[in-house]
Amino acid sequence: MIIRLIITICLFVGTSLSWIDYGLFANPRSTVYFYNPETNINNFASLKSEFDEYLSHHGPFQFQPFSDRDTFEKFIIESNDGVFILSSWHFHDLFVKFPIDSVCVGTSKGKSTQKKILSLNGITTNDNFDLLMGKKVASAGNEEYTRNVIKQMLGEEKAHLVDCLKILRVPKEIDALMALGFGMADLAITSENSLSKLAILNPKQYKGLRLIAKSNETLLPILATPKHRNDNIDLLLTVIEKMGTNPEGVTKLKMLGIDGWKRLGKIEKTSLED
Amino acid sequence: MFSAFIALTLLFSNTVFAIDNGKVVVLDTDMTIGKYVIVHEVFKSKIANIADEIYLGSKSINKRKIKKKIRQIDPDVVYCIGSRAYQLAHDVTKNVDLVFSSAINYHRFPMRKNTYGISNELPQKMQMMMFRYFFPDIEKIGVLYSKTYNKEWLDTAIENAGEVNIEIIGTSIKKPKELSSALEALMLKVDALWLLADPVVLSNEESITKIFKKSKIEKIPVFTYNNVFAKLGATMIISADIPTIGLQAADMVLDRLANKAITQRVQPPAGSYIILNLKKVEEYGLNLNDEALDSVNEIIR
Repeated sequence: MIIRLIITICLFVGTSLSWIDYGLFANPRSTVYFYNPETNINNFASLKSEFDEYLSHHGPFQFQPFSDRDTFEKFIIESNDGVFILSSWHFHDLFVKFPIDSVCVGTSKGKSTQKKILSLNGITTNDNFDLLMGKKVASAGNEEYTRNVIKQMLGEEKAHLVDCLKILRVPKEIDALMALGFGMADLAITSENSLSKLAILNPKQYKGLRLIAKSNETLLPILATPKHRNDNIDLLLTVIEKMGTNPEGVTKLKMLGIDGWKRLGKIEKTSLED
Repeated sequence: MFSAFIALTLLFSNTVFAIDNGKVVVLDTDMTIGKYVIVHEVFKSKIANIADEIYLGSKSINKRKIKKKIRQIDPDVVYCIGSRAYQLAHDVTKNVDLVFSSAINYHRFPMRKNTYGISNELPQKMQMMMFRYFFPDIEKIGVLYSKTYNKEWLDTAIENAGEVNIEIIGTSIKKPKELSSALEALMLKVDALWLLADPVVLSNEESITKIFKKSKIEKIPVFTYNNVFAKLGATMIISADIPTIGLQAADMVLDRLANKAITQRVQPPAGSYIILNLKKVEEYGLNLNDEALDSVNEIIR
């Protein structure tokens, strides 16, 4: 009965049973904490099992994804046993509040930055952004992130307009483009990369889109650690960093939309911490 | 586990909307059905104007009682979850806006000019794009169907397929006993099989087993619509994302409360849920575009 209860609790909180082996009877596990407001993470079980399986070959490590910013931040404050994967936008925001250190940036096909594009369906030559008032934007990012990035694209003088936009949160960027294509949304916000995919998959739909605003280049997800690191964290950091050179590791990273890591340079670190 | 999932889905959005002078009643077919619970909870997380929530349950419905209740509340919109809820709301109300979701085959519903809704089916073109996205080498997709249930569906699919560089090859059967020979012939011509909800093709358990057995022998992947086929060996399952349906329904209700005209009265789901069977991908030697892995919700190994 007690064992059954433990199993239930473990399943409920999203930890695996092997945690009991490591967590209670051996060294405590170090954890990779993951949260990204730019993508709608609704593949928790698969993410967790795939990463846990990979990490288990390299030490007493586990992966913990979050859907909620507050819970994730609570873990950042309270945890000194792990590393964090988070968006550069979120890191920038957190850096002033918590003692965390950025170490690596994710890469995709050798690139460590991305741009977000705001697109609408149909060719129009009208550049009056006020026409966007009250329109519905499909986005895989959360509401706070989506409004923030559109404000950055359109400028502070259009902030009132951004506040009036309705956000339809969809599971993935390709869904946002589909929602636009099939009339469930008036606008979509996606990465350049997703638009390139659409151009290949459905050139007709792509040609029908109008790209109306572009964000600045932003860094892909950041790998960060607590300011004060111990040996466990250093070991975990190395394991995560090396995923990009291991074919199996690359496959797991692709579930996060990246295929490797690179150490942050001085300029990149400064831009994140400014 | 399930309640944890609900809690997570509630975090989809942080904004709860309230429109002055608007009343909404939620009519739910069955509070024990998981997908109804999810859309209901997500809907509630977005709408503050809910005057009442009525559950029909599995017992016989007291139509008169529900009619009286709805009349007393005098709502502006009734959100109907499931077919029974919609049909009842249609029968007991007249000038109230109805928004439905999670209803199987809404086409058979009596519709009126103030009926709105979210269908259960993802657009065909979107599904085909996903097939191509995940498996770029797949060009010819076979569909077994019956003309009685899916002729129109197939005609549209053939028309749409060219846009995403896919060829749809359809084989119709009139009776379940024609399945084996039709399947045999079709498998020779295609790179994948797209399994539809067709009562003639999927007439019984034996038919379903036959299809998956043949798929395994011929190493032809099966793409389909329902996660019940995951255990049987479907390679890819694409279905509507349930929480997104709840969000869309909430948006529709808000639009109606604000008296905003809705041009597309029945919308397809805006979110997809993808299950990928990597075991089958490897077994059949399929060329998987691993860039697509960030779009997968569940991986089967």
